[in-house]
Amino acid sequence: QQKELDSGRKYTINEITVTGAQNFNEQTVIAFTGLKKGDRIYIPGEKLSQVTKKLWEQNLFSDIAFYVTNVEGDNVDLELYIVELPKLREVVISGKGVRKAKKKEIIKDNDLKAGAKITKNLLTTTKNYITNLYKKDGFYNTEVTINTTPYTDSTGVEESRNMVISVDKGKRVKVKNINFEGNEQFSDGKLRRSMKKTKRKNLIRFWKRSKFTEEGFEEDRESLLKKYKSNGYRDARIINDTLRVLDRKNVALDINLEEGDKYYFGDIKFIGNSVFTDGQLRQILGIKTGEVYNGILLQERIQDDSDPEANDLTNLYQNNGYLAARINPVEVAVRNDTIDFEIRIMERSLFYFDHVTVIGNDRTNDHVIYRELRTRPGQKYSKRDVVRTIRELGQLGFFDPEQLSPNFKKVDENNGLVDLEYSVVEKGSSQIELQGGYGGGGFVGTLGLSFNNFSLRNIFNLSSYKPLPMGDGQKLSIRAQASSYYQTYSLSLTEPWLGGRKPVQLSTSFSHTIQNYYDPRQRRADKTRSFTITGGSVGLAKKVKWPDDYFVWSNAISFQHYNLNNYNTGLFTFGDGYSNNLAYTIGISRNNTATNPIYPTSGSDFSITAKLTPPYSAFNSVDYKALSRERDQLALTNPDNPEFVDDNKRISAIDQERFKWLEYYKIKFKGTWYTKLVEKLVLRTNTEFGFLGAYNQDRGIPPFERYFVGGDGLGAYSLDGREVIQLRGYPNQSLTPIDGNTIYNKFSLEVRYPVTLAQMASIYVLGFAEGGASYDGFRDYNPFELKRSAGVGLRIFMPAFGLLGIDFGYGFDPVLGGTEKNGWEPHFIIGQQF
Amino acid sequence: CSQYQQVLRKDDMGKKYALADSLYKMEKYKKSLKLMEQLVPVYRGKPQGEKLMFIYANTYYNLEDYYLAGYQFERFAQAYPQSDSIEVASFKAAKSFYQLSPRYSLDQKDTDKGLEKLQEFINQYPNSEKRTEANALVAELRGKLEKKQYEVAKQYLRVEDYKAAIDAFDNFITDNPGSSYRKDAFYGRFVAAYKLAINSIPVLVQERLRTAKGYYNNFIKYYKDTDLAPEALELYQDIESRIVPLETEPNT
Repeated sequence: QQKELDSGRKYTINEITVTGAQNFNEQTVIAFTGLKKGDRIYIPGEKLSQVTKKLWEQNLFSDIAFYVTNVEGDNVDLELYIVELPKLREVVISGKGVRKAKKKEIIKDNDLKAGAKITKNLLTTTKNYITNLYKKDGFYNTEVTINTTPYTDSTGVEESRNMVISVDKGKRVKVKNINFEGNEQFSDGKLRRSMKKTKRKNLIRFWKRSKFTEEGFEEDRESLLKKYKSNGYRDARIINDTLRVLDRKNVALDINLEEGDKYYFGDIKFIGNSVFTDGQLRQILGIKTGEVYNGILLQERIQDDSDPEANDLTNLYQNNGYLAARINPVEVAVRNDTIDFEIRIMERSLFYFDHVTVIGNDRTNDHVIYRELRTRPGQKYSKRDVVRTIRELGQLGFFDPEQLSPNFKKVDENNGLVDLEYSVVEKGSSQIELQGGYGGGGFVGTLGLSFNNFSLRNIFNLSSYKPLPMGDGQKLSIRAQASSYYQTYSLSLTEPWLGGRKPVQLSTSFSHTIQNYYDPRQRRADKTRSFTITGGSVGLAKKVKWPDDYFVWSNAISFQHYNLNNYNTGLFTFGDGYSNNLAYTIGISRNNTATNPIYPTSGSDFSITAKLTPPYSAFNSVDYKALSRERDQLALTNPDNPEFVDDNKRISAIDQERFKWLEYYKIKFKGTWYTKLVEKLVLRTNTEFGFLGAYNQDRGIPPFERYFVGGDGLGAYSLDGREVIQLRGYPNQSLTPIDGNTIYNKFSLEVRYPVTLAQMASIYVLGFAEGGASYDGFRDYNPFELKRSAGVGLRIFMPAFGLLGIDFGYGFDPVLGGTEKNGWEPHFIIGQQF
Repeated sequence: CSQYQQVLRKDDMGKKYALADSLYKMEKYKKSLKLMEQLVPVYRGKPQGEKLMFIYANTYYNLEDYYLAGYQFERFAQAYPQSDSIEVASFKAAKSFYQLSPRYSLDQKDTDKGLEKLQEFINQYPNSEKRTEANALVAELRGKLEKKQYEVAKQYLRVEDYKAAIDAFDNFITDNPGSSYRKDAFYGRFVAAYKLAINSIPVLVQERLRTAKGYYNNFIKYYKDTDLAPEALELYQDIESRIVPLETEPNT
């Protein structure tokens, strides 16, 4: 029964029914339409269209229709017919070589989660997405099929659908040939070499596989033209390029070029410069009339985007206050093959820093940060200073160097003022060392704490313990180690800005070691026999502005007192007695490594120090010559001689006299350079030299403070101020006799590549080649007679644990006293930084 | 205590609610909180929810977890805009942010947020009995921000970067009219200018002494009878003794 509806008339809804709903509740659907019983609407009319549209936009239905089922006067019954879109239940992605991470990526990027509605659009976009995904990696023959199968509940009603995506990656497309046409100036080979991403198939070149990707080829088109442009062919262009599909695995590229003419630089004029003279600008530009035209170089000399600290024209202005300066090169005339340039400069006004603020310091106090800033209110704007400030804030070790950033908050051209805000992110800077283990006949426990951002003034302020008083930039380390027969305690404190006025660093340290005689037969310590060492040092280091302001001048006084109580050590010929080691150390060092102290990528670090004791023998009127002669004679005594015991006593007495106050001087040089090779690959070049000498040859060089070469270089349990020099590929201290040597040198090359430089853990891998040796005096010294080694290693730096690492070194030479090369040697590196 | 454990484990929400409430009244907040964490998702949107959400937020506040307290009070204020407790909740939300504000020498983003929230409260409830307290808190936070900026300027003086100090004090004076550090800032600017002058190369000394004199006049204009005036006067007299009258200055 068909009744006519009067389109100009309002009807009252009597009843609404929903048909076709499977998963949706009828009432829910009705509620959603917003229509209810008793509503008066035009049929057909705008209201119904709106409702349909609204439902459609939900993306839940594949069909929506309203039917009028009954009309009685003004009253109508409505039927809403819907077809629900199938719901997604589960996605399975299958395919050879489709990695788990890729699968996750596909699911995430296409929103393929349970409950999603399976629309045609979804299927198509997913398919395209996957094909493109693999295209990016050079798979041009990827085939994707998507099937959905119904999932029914127990009553047999389709509840949702499972989706199976099968991916056939196919073979990666390789470039069989790249043909050039129209090239006369450069050979095909040269042009192919300039293409970095798109390479021909070549078995020998295993490090870079041949593949073809749109992106890579796009880049290479640029680099092809760059090749021409940097050689005077500024008009060079690619007329067309064709990708020919040879078969499923191979494609060929045909590139048709037009080289154009070779051009030369003509006159270069500077316009608009008032601050710098033409001469100054020309010197930095470094391009002369008559040179082969090189558009790339010209751009680099004006603004080198690859290096923020480049010596280019833009930085000349940026480093001298002209924040808003703009420099544009303009071709003004082309005369045959010569191009005249005008370099138009808009200098604009000078800028000064106004408000300079720091944000993000949740732990470190303002004064610790502001004192390091090189950009202060009222100073002329300088990009170099901003870069340097960032570098130095990174080196404090309190902030994540990778997240430091300067933000220009307000640049006011009318007043020439710029507000700068440094954003910092705090990182953990305390380290804890807790060890326990059996060694040397008993339990050995170690507790070490090092707080790199301590606040000493709050040490008695209980409320600042959250969990420790932090934020004043002081460094406090406490370490205690104990076993049944020895204990050692040490404490050190460093204040980088003594008094807060000048960057004068005060460091103090104190240590105390008690070693008891360990009786191996009774397996216990004999408390009546002991060897104690008590020492301390105070040092001042000052940043100086000359020769340049990366220099640090340092002074320190150190003192150690050795006390032997019926205790024989290899160091002394006497078992009862004492020795004092008072020395003054003076040093100068320069460090401009940047930026991350854990992973420097540029700059250098070198230092020269001299450690001197007072020349006691010059004024204490002891005749060391006589003592020395007497000792030499006594030492010749045969052990069978009845006088042997007495003679030994006398030797002890002489040595006690010699070592009452140690007398020596020690000179050390150390230099390290960091060079960025490509991208993040860094070369570390290091050279070291050390020398220990005596003022008075008769008194001789003491057995202390000597050099021991070989091994991991970790400062072992040392009583005698010895210096352990790292030389990997050999066992610890295997390249020096047991008494140590007085001269050493070392050369090392290390290549580093970072795996990650995240805040939680910095990890890098390294490969090294090094050589070094120690010598007994200048007569032996030969800097070319080195023990050589090479190897690879890994370093992990975590803020809470410090540095952990492992190296495998191969020693090419025999160890001391050996005859065969040493071969592989593993080294574990703990705690030693950088 | 075992009864508490039983209730905590069972599913009886009514008992949990009653126990949570009584523990809250007994100020056993930690225990109460554990129960409330289970109750909150269940009662959200129900009639009991209003009271529960309020004491839930307040428990965090009493436990000095101001970060969550602020968040929960704000949620409460959004969810129950008609509630009788809305004013208290808004105030406590703002006060939570006030509590989060760290010492002046650290990053002050929480202070800024506290100020914003307190100001919102004052604007919304101009007749609230908490207004006096809110105003006091605002003043305290403002004072903190002022101290921060003042101390930075003072540090430039301390590290003998006089030019930066003058600029920073200048900025302080412009940015903070009516600050309690204003006197010290005027004085600091004068001292910085004085020290800059006497440590300058000879050609610049006279000009800079005159600048310093100008800053002295600025200082004395506002703070003639303050404790810093005698010290300032001493420096001023030194300036006077060094300054060469313009006429008699030799032509260079």
